[in-house]
Amino acid sequence: MSKSTSELLRQSSPSALRRKRNRSEALVGWSFVSIPMALFLVLSVGIFFYAIYISTFRWGILGPRGYLGIKNYKQAIHDPIFLKSIRNSVTYAALVVPLQTALGLLLALLVNGKIKGAKFFRSAFYFPSIASSAAITTLFIFLLAPEGLFNRALSFFGVNVPNLFNQGAWLSDSRTALFSIIGLNMWTTSGTMMLFYLANLQSIDGSLTEAGIMDGATRRQVFWYITMPLLKPAHFFVVTSGMIGALQLYDQAILAGGADGSPDYSLMTMVLYIYNASFRQFEFGFASAIGVILFVIIFSLTLLQRYLFGSGAWRGEN
Amino acid sequence: MAYIKRKFFYFILIAYSAFTFIPFLWSLSTSLKPQEEVFQTNILPQSATVRAYGTVFTKIQPSFPSLFANSLFIATVVVILHLIFASLAGYAFARLRFPGRDILFYIVLGTMMIPDQLRLVPIYQLLVKMGLISNQPSNYLAIFLVKAIGAADIFLIRQFFLSIPRDLEDAAKIDGAGPFQTFTRVMLPNAMPVLATVAILTFQGTWNDLFWPSIVLQSPNHWTLPFGILQFKGQFSTDWPPIMALVVLSTLPILAIYAFGQRYIINMQLSSSVKG
Repeated sequence: MSKSTSELLRQSSPSALRRKRNRSEALVGWSFVSIPMALFLVLSVGIFFYAIYISTFRWGILGPRGYLGIKNYKQAIHDPIFLKSIRNSVTYAALVVPLQTALGLLLALLVNGKIKGAKFFRSAFYFPSIASSAAITTLFIFLLAPEGLFNRALSFFGVNVPNLFNQGAWLSDSRTALFSIIGLNMWTTSGTMMLFYLANLQSIDGSLTEAGIMDGATRRQVFWYITMPLLKPAHFFVVTSGMIGALQLYDQAILAGGADGSPDYSLMTMVLYIYNASFRQFEFGFASAIGVILFVIIFSLTLLQRYLFGSGAWRGEN
Repeated sequence: MAYIKRKFFYFILIAYSAFTFIPFLWSLSTSLKPQEEVFQTNILPQSATVRAYGTVFTKIQPSFPSLFANSLFIATVVVILHLIFASLAGYAFARLRFPGRDILFYIVLGTMMIPDQLRLVPIYQLLVKMGLISNQPSNYLAIFLVKAIGAADIFLIRQFFLSIPRDLEDAAKIDGAGPFQTFTRVMLPNAMPVLATVAILTFQGTWNDLFWPSIVLQSPNHWTLPFGILQFKGQFSTDWPPIMALVVLSTLPILAIYAFGQRYIINMQLSSSVKG
C-alpha cells in the first residue's frame, strides 16, 4: 500500500522540488561517506602507493637514503631465507585451507539437521574460534611440549613417544613445527568456516534436495550434485578469505618460533620476514618490497579463485 | 541399525565437542596447579592454589589489570568508531543516491585485498611523522587511527540496509523528516541486529589482535593482553601456571560477550553476504 503512496508522491511532486531533493540527498550521501572515505583514501589507497614508492628506495629510520629502482626486489628473490619464508607460507596455505574448509563443511553438515542439542554443538564447535591467537597458541605450545598433554595422550594410546623421529618435540623440531601450526589453525579456524557454511546451508531451499530424492538419487548423489553446487557462495568466501588469512600467518609463528621463526627458520613466514626487515634490520624500503610481493601473490590468487568459481559468487546477492 | 547409526552420530558430536573444550579446561586446570603438578595428567589439581593469579595481578609488570584496562579501552573506542563510520557509510551506499557512489564503494571493497603487512611500513612512517609513536598517551591515537574503519563492516551494514523495505523511509519522508532524521530516527533503530553483530565482531577482532599493538604500542603501560602474553611467554618460559592464568583471564571476557551475543554471531555473521 505504502509503495503506491510513494509512487503517488513521486508523480505529484514538481520536477524542481525533486531536483532539490536529489541534490540534498547527494549532499547527505557525500557527507555520510566523507570521513570513512577520507580514512580509506589516506590509510589504504594512498598508503598502498606510498608503500610501492618506498619499496624503490634504500629507506632507513631517518627516511630515504638513495633511489634503488627494483634492487630491493632483486635482493629479495636472491635471499634464501626469504625464499624459505615464501615456501613456508605457501605450504602452510596450501595445506591449511583445504583442511579447515573440509572440516568446517563437515561440522556444518553435522549440526545443520534437526538434531538434539544443535545449539550446544554449534557453540561448542565455534568455541575455538573466539579466543585470541596469542592465548590459543600459548596454550598449544604448552600442550605440545615434550612432557605435555598431547604426548601423554599418545603414550596412553600406545605410542612410544621418545622413540618417535622427533622425540615428541613437535614445535621445536624443524620437521614438525609448521605442521603443528597447521593442525592448530585447522582446529581454531574450522569453527568460523562452519558458520559460513551453516549460513549458506540454511538458505538452501529444501524442495531442491527433496526433488532429487524423489527422482531416485541416493543421498550421496544429492550431496555431490545438488548440495555442493548450491554451496558455491560459501565455498568461494571460505576458500578466498581462508587463503588471504593463511598467507598472512604471523601471530602463531612469532609466538611459537620467536622473531626468527625457530627452529631453523621452519616458522619463518612472509609476514614475519617483513616484521624482521622493518623492526630488526630497519630496512623499510626492503620490507616494503616484500609487502608488495605479498600483495601481488594474494591479489593474483584471489583473481584466480574468482575466475575458478565464476564471477557470480563474488558478491553474493545483489 | 538406524539406532546404532544415531548413537554413532552423537558419539562423534560429543567427541568433537570434548576436543574443543579440553584444551581450555586444561589451561584453567593448569593455572590452579602448583609448579610441580604442571605436567601431571590429573585434571583436578591435587593441591589447588591461586598463586598464579596473584602473580599476574601483582607481580608482573605491567600487571594483568593494566593489560586488561588497555585492551578494554582500545577495543571499546574502536567499536564505537566502527559503528559510527560503518553505519553512516553503509547506509549511504545502500540507500542514498549521489554521484560517484558506486566507484567509492568499489574502492572500499578493493581495500580488503591490501594486506595489513603492506601497509605496515608506510603507516608506521606516517605515525612517526605525526608524533604518535611515543610513550605518551597520544600513542593510543595511533592504534585508533590504524583500526578506525573496516571495509567488511561497511559491506555488512550495506547488505542489511539493502534488505529492508523502502516503505519505512518513504513514510518518514511523507512525515517531513530530512535524510539525516530518517537515518537516525527510523533506519538506525531498525538496524540494531546488524549493529550488534558489527559491534561483537569488531570487539572480538580488536581484543584479540596481536599484529598492530605489537608494532604501534611503545610503552609497556599501553600493552594489550595478547601483546602481554607474547612478552611474558618469553620471560616465564617454564613457569606455566601464571601464563595459563593470563590465557584464562584474557579469554573470559570474550567468552562472556560471545555467550551474551551468540545469536547475533551465529545468525548474522556475513549470512547476508553468503546468501546464494
